[in-house]
Amino acid sequence: MSEYIIRNAKPEDAAFLADTVISAEKSGSEKLSYCTLFNLTAAQAKHNITCMFEEEIDGCEFSISSFLVVEFEGKPVAAFGGWIETMNEDETPSKLLKSNLISYTFGREALEFLKTKAAVINALVTERNPMALQLEYLYVDAGHRGKNLSALLIETLEKRALAAYPGLKKVQVQVYSNNIPAINIYKKAGFEIVSTSKSNHPEVLEFLPWNEKHVMQKTIN
Amino acid sequence: MERNEIVNKIKTILVAVLKHEDFVMNDELTAAKVNGWDSLTHMIIITDIENAFGIKFKLKELNKLNNMGSLIELITAKLAQ
Repeated sequence: MSEYIIRNAKPEDAAFLADTVISAEKSGSEKLSYCTLFNLTAAQAKHNITCMFEEEIDGCEFSISSFLVVEFEGKPVAAFGGWIETMNEDETPSKLLKSNLISYTFGREALEFLKTKAAVINALVTERNPMALQLEYLYVDAGHRGKNLSALLIETLEKRALAAYPGLKKVQVQVYSNNIPAINIYKKAGFEIVSTSKSNHPEVLEFLPWNEKHVMQKTIN
Repeated sequence: MERNEIVNKIKTILVAVLKHEDFVMNDELTAAKVNGWDSLTHMIIITDIENAFGIKFKLKELNKLNNMGSLIELITAKLAQ
């Protein structure tokens, strides 16, 4: 009988992790912010996201080392990223690591386009708590849903983080408020909504899957 | 380029992107201390600095920046190349 195997992501997973990001970022919609906000095609966005992973920078949502992958019959079928915010060599916040990766990878033209759209998404940029486990980009292949892989990934990410930092107190995840299946997964895993941010910009739904985001949090220890 | 000139150019970019002047340009200044210097504005600030000085940062260089002093030092070194 085939079984699921959970393991740390490896450099060879970069393309699968890019698909993970794309699927999670779309949040059930057809809007991929890495296309809409940078005026890129789906293929260009996937290429750039893969390149960011290939830089192997630790400590943010584009770090291979953040991700756990679930394999079935030797193929990755699910993934979820998690890192302890600012627990890296220079205590750099993940938002700066991510921004540096995007600045470096996406090219000037894409960034110039983003510059014109900054006002659209400003209200949805949320601060992350230092030394909290931050979860980002959950994906489970459609053929493997309903097998509790999300719960397994969350539990394993928490265990891995506690082993690295036994003083860990908080786990946080950001989710669009219309993504009810994801919210239910997190609620079942012990998370509750602690804050909500909303963009009232008239164009927001042209660029993002939804105009409202929750921060959900779980206290451990 | 004189250090003062570099500092003034960076300040002009910060004011233009962040739309306020509620910060003091010194070597200890960090993004966390400046209102509005978030992930989005950071990308724009970095691109604008590259444009203004005609330089291109490497990823490792960007990740090593920990305050305004290290940014000024890096720009100075790049301009001297």
